[in-house]
Parts: sequence; C-alpha cells; structure tokens
Amino acid sequence: MIDGGIFGIVPFGDIIFKYSMFSTIGFVIAITFTILVYLTKPEKQLEAQKFGEDKLIDIPLHELKNRRYMAIVCGIATAGAMLTQDIFDFALFLTLVGIANIGIVSAVKREHVLNASFQYGLTSIIATLPLFGASALILAKTGTLSILELHHLNKNLLFEKILYGLGMAGETGVAPYYAAKAEMFRAPGSPYILMIHLSSLLLIVRTVEILLTI
Amino acid sequence: MIGKIWNYLSKPELVPRLFAITLAIVFIFGLFWPIYKDNNQLYPKPEYHSQALKTPLAPYDRSIVKAQYPQYLPDLGKITSYLTPIAIFIKDRTLFFGTTIVSTPGGILDEILYYTRGMDTVLESSILLVAFIIFTWLYWNRERD
Repeated sequence: MIDGGIFGIVPFGDIIFKYSMFSTIGFVIAITFTILVYLTKPEKQLEAQKFGEDKLIDIPLHELKNRRYMAIVCGIATAGAMLTQDIFDFALFLTLVGIANIGIVSAVKREHVLNASFQYGLTSIIATLPLFGASALILAKTGTLSILELHHLNKNLLFEKILYGLGMAGETGVAPYYAAKAEMFRAPGSPYILMIHLSSLLLIVRTVEILLTI
Repeated sequence: MIGKIWNYLSKPELVPRLFAITLAIVFIFGLFWPIYKDNNQLYPKPEYHSQALKTPLAPYDRSIVKAQYPQYLPDLGKITSYLTPIAIFIKDRTLFFGTTIVSTPGGILDEILYYTRGMDTVLESSILLVAFIIFTWLYWNRERD
C-alpha cells in the first residue's frame, strides 16, 4: 500500500471507506473547501463599458443558490471519493462530481459559457463508457471490485487501467480546461469555480493512487 | 507551427471529438488484449430463466450472499434479506415482482439488489437527483435574464 498507515475504516456492506494517511488529507481538504464555499459570498464585478457608466455586475440570488448547492454537492462527492475502497463506487463518485461540475457551469446565462458546458457534458457522457466498462472488465477478470483485495491478486490489468484513466480524464480531468475556456474566472461568482479545479486535482491524484495500488 | 496547433486545439467543441477518437484508438488496441472471465466471481449470476415462475423476486433472487469481507457477514445477512412492507405486499400477490416497474433500479427492490454493495444505491439515486435539479433549474429559469 502506498497510501500510508490506516487510521480506521467505515464498512458499508462490501464497500469500505478507509481513513489512511493519504485519504484523510484529501478528505479534510475537500471538506474544508466545501465549508469555505458555503460561507463565502461571491464576488461582485465592475465591468468597464465603452460608452457611459461602468456597471456593477451582481449575482442574482436564485443563480447563487443553485451554483452554491452544486458546489457543495461537488465538494461532498470529492470527499467521499477520497475515502472509498471500491472501483465501481469510485466511478460513481466521479460521475457525480462530473455532473455537479456541469451544474456549476450551466447556471451562468452567457452564450459562450453555456456552449462550453454543453461540450463538457458531451465529453463526460462519452467518458462514462470507458469508466464503467473498465470497472466491468476488472470485475470479470478478477471477480472482485474491492481495491484492498485487488492489491493482493497481482493480475495484469494494464488495458483496464488505461481505460479507467481515460474515463477519469474525460469525466473530471478536462473540467479545468472548460472552466478556463469559458472564461469562468472572469465570470462573476468566483468561489464556486474553484470547486471544479479542486475536485479535478484531488480526483486525479486519487486515481493515480488507485491505479498504482491495484 | 506549434502555436497554430495550440490555437486549433483551443476550440471547446474539439475536445469531445479528440477524446472520442483517442478512445476509439485505445479500443482498437484493446482487441489484441486478452479479455476473459474468471470463474471465481464474488457476485455470481444465476443461469438465465432458472428462477422464472419459481420465486417472485426472479431474476434477482440472491439466496446465497457472498461477502467481500467475511467479518461483516452477519450484519450483511440481516440487511440483505430485508424487504420493505410495500415490497412484501406486492411480493405476496404476484410472481412477477422482480420484473415489474417498481423493482427497476431506484425502485423498492433496491434493498435486495444493492445493499450488499452499500453506498452504490445512494450514489446512483443522488446522481439522478442532481441531474433532475440541473434540468428543472434550467427549465424554470429559461426566460429569466
């Protein structure tokens, strides 16, 4: 095991949530940022106009509520994905993060933002095929889905691992690209966008850890 | 030259296509990769039509449950054989409970189908819930500026 010592486990049937050195750090980071996102107010923006007065762009409350909710869902899913010790469960967490990311982006009513989030939605729909396909192939080949068990089995899973990595890349890995592409940093309401980046970063590191372990 | 390629790649609508092409290439290489089924499965599948008209829970009757971690097996048995009162009510009246609409994923059969896999059923329904939230929000606010 490359993730350090075990502090404790939470069994849910066949799925085990494990607090190891690595996963606890990721869990605490994700939860901390979720609380920060919940507490902070979105920033307002002063947009310079070519003619006339500059105007202050404010986020309306109904949009703020939706995006904040999606950011919190995204944070909780990231925190859960840090702990889970099951291939299929991790794939479901990835999908939940992906769809929450689309939710964060899609609430902004601007054409280029909506275009980018539509393309991101297409990518994550395509990515479910390799993600769940790789889980199914791993289950067929080894007869189990638990990462703790797969660690002892020593089977050659190179192709499945490549597929799994590709699925992760399409599901959350490309999210920062779209967030940057849609100029979401300049769109008002910045703290919620940070959740996309944080979840993407943490999930990439966690996927590498899983692929090295099994 | 490289600048031109970067500029070409920077269009958002290009990424799904590139991703799909990459995937197709990987799948073509996958044809040469040995894919087989191990016979020692944790979640065995019963033979086709072997349960039909014999048990109301067909084809999902999992009479023998194997646990991934045998130390949690006693607790697992208590939960896995649990049916809600509504499920018992329907089960007593028809032999086709397992194939009715109420027992599709998300329906009331989920307890026996998925509980051995713990968090999965929670996550599947929450994915569906989040998708519906996004859709309804976009639908209700489609005319608002």
